[in-house]
Amino acid sequence: MNCGSSLLQVAVAAPLVAALVMAFSKWLPCAAKKAVAGVGFVVPALAALALCYAFPCAEKIGGYAFYSSCETIGVPSLGIWLQFGLNGISLPLFLMATIVGLAAGLRAIATKGVAQGGLYYAVTLVMFGGVLGVFSAIDVFSFYIFHEFALIPTFVAILLWGGYARKTTAITMAIYLTLGAMVSLAGLFALYFAGAGAGEYGFSFLGVAQAVAGGIVLDGNVSVIFALLLFGFGILVSLFPFYSWAPDTYSVAPTPISMLHAGVLKKFGLYGLIQLGALALPLGLADWQNWIIWLALGNIVLIGLITMVQKDLKQMVSYSSVMHMGPIFLGIAAFAISGGDTAGLGGAVVLMFAHGLSVALLFHLGQSVYDRTGTYDMTKMGGLTAKAPVLAAFFVAATMASIGLPGFANFWGELTIFTSLAQIQPTWLLGAIVLSIVISAIYGLRAVAKIFYGKNTGAALSDEAFENVRDITTAERVPAIVLFAALVAVGFVPSLITKNIDATLKADFAPAAKELCADCDSVPAETDVDTIILEGSIPVEVPADNCEACGGNAEQVVLAKNITVSVDGAVGNPGDFVLSGDDATLLKVLEQAEVDEEATFVVVLRVRARIPVDIEELRNGDVDDIPLEDGDKISVE
Amino acid sequence: MDNETLLRVILLTPLVAAVVSAFFFRRSRVIAPVISVTAAGVILFASLALLLGLEPANPTASATLPGFALGGFTELETIGLSVDKNGAAMLFVVTFVAFWIHVFSVGYMDDDKARGRFFAGLSVFMFSILGIILANNLFMTFIFWELVGFSSYMLIAHYWNTDYAAMASKKAFIANRVGDLGFLVGIILCYAQYGTTNFAELEALIKSGEMTVTSIGLLLMCGFLGKSAQFPLHVWLTDAMAGPTPVSALIHAATMVAAGVFFMVRIFFLLTPEVLTTMLWLCAGMAALGGLCALGQTDIKKSLAYSTLSHLGFMGAAIGLGLPEIALLHMAMHAFFKATLFLCSGSVIHACHHEQDMTKMGGLLKKMPITAAAFIVAGLSICAFPWMAGWYSKDMILSGAYLAGNIPAFVALVVAAIGTTLYTGRMFAMVFLGNAHGHGAEHAKESSVWMTLPLIVLGVIFSLGAGWFLAGTNGISWLGGKMNALFPTVATEAFAHGYHDLHDKLAAAGLVAPMFILGVVILVVGLGLAVVFYRTATGEDKLREYSPTLYKALEYRYMDTLYAWYIEKVQQRFAMLVAMLDTALVNMLAMRGVVAGVPAILGSVSRRFVQNGNGSISVFWIALGALAVAAALVSGVLS
Repeated sequence: MNCGSSLLQVAVAAPLVAALVMAFSKWLPCAAKKAVAGVGFVVPALAALALCYAFPCAEKIGGYAFYSSCETIGVPSLGIWLQFGLNGISLPLFLMATIVGLAAGLRAIATKGVAQGGLYYAVTLVMFGGVLGVFSAIDVFSFYIFHEFALIPTFVAILLWGGYARKTTAITMAIYLTLGAMVSLAGLFALYFAGAGAGEYGFSFLGVAQAVAGGIVLDGNVSVIFALLLFGFGILVSLFPFYSWAPDTYSVAPTPISMLHAGVLKKFGLYGLIQLGALALPLGLADWQNWIIWLALGNIVLIGLITMVQKDLKQMVSYSSVMHMGPIFLGIAAFAISGGDTAGLGGAVVLMFAHGLSVALLFHLGQSVYDRTGTYDMTKMGGLTAKAPVLAAFFVAATMASIGLPGFANFWGELTIFTSLAQIQPTWLLGAIVLSIVISAIYGLRAVAKIFYGKNTGAALSDEAFENVRDITTAERVPAIVLFAALVAVGFVPSLITKNIDATLKADFAPAAKELCADCDSVPAETDVDTIILEGSIPVEVPADNCEACGGNAEQVVLAKNITVSVDGAVGNPGDFVLSGDDATLLKVLEQAEVDEEATFVVVLRVRARIPVDIEELRNGDVDDIPLEDGDKISVE
Repeated sequence: MDNETLLRVILLTPLVAAVVSAFFFRRSRVIAPVISVTAAGVILFASLALLLGLEPANPTASATLPGFALGGFTELETIGLSVDKNGAAMLFVVTFVAFWIHVFSVGYMDDDKARGRFFAGLSVFMFSILGIILANNLFMTFIFWELVGFSSYMLIAHYWNTDYAAMASKKAFIANRVGDLGFLVGIILCYAQYGTTNFAELEALIKSGEMTVTSIGLLLMCGFLGKSAQFPLHVWLTDAMAGPTPVSALIHAATMVAAGVFFMVRIFFLLTPEVLTTMLWLCAGMAALGGLCALGQTDIKKSLAYSTLSHLGFMGAAIGLGLPEIALLHMAMHAFFKATLFLCSGSVIHACHHEQDMTKMGGLLKKMPITAAAFIVAGLSICAFPWMAGWYSKDMILSGAYLAGNIPAFVALVVAAIGTTLYTGRMFAMVFLGNAHGHGAEHAKESSVWMTLPLIVLGVIFSLGAGWFLAGTNGISWLGGKMNALFPTVATEAFAHGYHDLHDKLAAAGLVAPMFILGVVILVVGLGLAVVFYRTATGEDKLREYSPTLYKALEYRYMDTLYAWYIEKVQQRFAMLVAMLDTALVNMLAMRGVVAGVPAILGSVSRRFVQNGNGSISVFWIALGALAVAAALVSGVLS
């Protein structure tokens, strides 16, 4: 137990303690309630900043800094007990959660005329405490429990303070999310009973990863368990087609709740897919990668189109948040698609961080627009810049962040994810995925133009009322600045978070990456290499270049068996050659292929390497003979 | 200061200026312009210091800024800034033109309430365009490429309270993003293919025999089509004129749209013959189309915008002909005379109380002599009057097409050249000759020195003289050979060689004199026809009077109509259909039907046990049901 881990515990406990105090809200004056709630929202944010600062030098256990473990809560004999800590992946998400929580909290405190203010704060605080728990828990059991802990206040808040059709919406959401939670729980149970969690760390992310890597779970079961996790978590993250709950929920829920849920709590499923799915069950991910690709494409293209026709601002933001889950899923799938390159996972974490902030900012500003115009219907607005230029500036910035403009954190996430998908098959899918940058620009800029540009339409506000509209107040400005500052800070200096993410990815995901790589060795993957590099030439089986991650291993494996190379150009006998063992050198192949007399030059092409050789020198022994690899393409000139 | 510091200063000064004026001096009328113009001055001086300090033989400098790496994506681990000979040319042109346009803006925007926002926007633009010039790899280019699009969006939307500007800004951003879609996919595939996107490394790879790939070249070309507004993404540029005129001059004529050309020159080694052919046809066609359609506009800025489209087409065609140096040369020359023409139009518009319709102008020659003189000089330059800037570059492209034996392209470019002389003469006749036809024009006065000084510097000196250094054998040099006529020597390195090379070939083919005669004929006939035909007493466009059908064709509304049709009738309807299916199938059937059906059954069961029929109970029942399913699944897994 050290200073950092107590700070982490304080950060998680502070909102919960503040919520407890609210139980006595009957006897508290209004100002005191606000002050206590304020403390509950501010303390975690400050603590998170301090933890970020201390993280690089902090002592780490299994990659987790600020580790603490409490065996009295839980059943150690079953491998279940409370464990807290932060690694490079959970740290940025924890930080994001505290920032969004702070903004949502300030928004909640600033909301006027709420019935049962004390309860309202308490509900928001409990939800906040829950999401902090989600990202700081290491053991799977508390990770899950904290999620439920944060979810229940969401129902309560919608039922008590929701907008139009709140009961239907709350129940719809409850059904959907309970279903998702149950399916993922089934996955977790399966994982547990399959024997994961027997090790030193119990049933924690680390323990599961160790156990599965140790071969405890049968290969056949890995795929099934991953599917349960994928679809369970997928429902919670509004993966296509399980998204219907999200737009309704977010547009009905009170704004602070929408901010916390869309921004933070929804990331629970994605976080679980990374820390459990990709880390412990990489082969499951490889099995299901095509499902993820196609469903995420549904998120991007179909939901993107639906977002475009929304007239209601809050609905539009909600649908856009569903759409933006697509690239994050793809980032996770990219781990398998690229055969073990962790770039996509890193991009997914960065995008989760960024999306949480930007969607919260949009909900926050949307509420501010509503407070001024009395409607969410964008067709009834117009020309708001005249009266609220600062609000307009923030809204444009939030829109730009959400559509991935460089300078905001979102851009780095999307860019890394798209880049990591280079190996996707068929290649045109990449174009369909990147289409998201066009679709999001269309609906984002339409909203800006409808609300803030042009002239007041007069439908929502009479000219007189329009004259009385005031610009953004301090209470609205502070949360906006906090969220904006975080987006821009990471937008300009991405290494603030990527350093830690990358370190954890390198350390933790190496075994998983190796497993994916072995996978692509035994089944030569059809990469896009032949279509891209060698247009019009004989398609040859090229080992996926992503096997680089395995380094020496891959080469040994390759050398031991027969390899196929192709020869063309100035030779008498062009075509494919199957070689084995000692024969697999350049000189031997050239003999077999009957090189023409006048040929002087030969080039060996392999993935990301090109070896030019002078034939004369090769024959004279002036240069060393070259051992060939499977898939080499030799051209003689 | 050493080169590294200079590079960082050049890139970061405008960013700092933008941040300071956007956050602290938004409302100020004086400080924001001062900051922005000072920043532009600092950049100009830093660039000159950098360029004059470079070795002419090997004009390269580089510096790095910290970046990030994730997993296997290490391309941005350090953000590299570098200048090579192409970059040096572009750097000089951009910083020089931009500085004078900043000065002009002080005069032009004197009656605008949102000067703070405007000048902050200009500084953001400077940051972005300098980023494109200094970027040393494709990913960095993409980053600043997007930022340029954003600053263009913000500046077009400067008059946000007009519906036209709101529409135009959106259109510009989205059209650019469509181009960027292909561009980004191209970059990603390029990275996957070669393992690097660094320009120098790529060039070395290609030189060592690595294959070039048509698909990657075509995808990268999409970025060019968007940014340089070539067919079919050209529709945004003419509407972009909704922004203030200095913005049109700087961004939508001289620099940003030329960045697309600059980029294609930079990756020229990656382009296969197929890509070049595609580019040649698209761009030569655009050159001819733009040159003719400029005759169908009465808005002075729109007419100039079509002229820009046409000249960007010239540059693209030069690249397509395999003459990247000539394209760069035309880019530089065009930046000077087109910026001047736009600034002249700005001066006129400002004097006529923001009247942009040429039919309401006229007779300004005497009232605005300096503006008129600058217009004449820049106009002659764009029409390729011998020994002026445009003559060196534009006629070279014509000759290049002829030498390449590509007669259709040559004809298209000749049509474009004739169009250039016609619309320039028409513009001059309608604006400066005849009588004043509008209230604004009657009361017009010459603009203030803030506006006329840039006109004199950019227009008279540079349009006249920018080409001189190419004249004769080696031109005039001074400052110990560091300056070549009006350019720093290192900045001319990129195109001087290409120019002389082509000139020699032309001489060898005995075509110098015929081409000269052809150019003069086009010039005299075109200008003469236009001035005689369009000189008007009524102010009405003559062509519209004589042949409304032809005029209507030249107004060129077809693509806008087509896109509007696509968006309203196809895209929007399809989106509505998807949304409807979403409501009907996913939301109603799947959710209400299947998902809610289960709890409904369970709920009816539950009512017998629990005397409570409300919905929240059914939640617990579905939970229980799901647990049962889960248990079944688990046992299934484990069995």
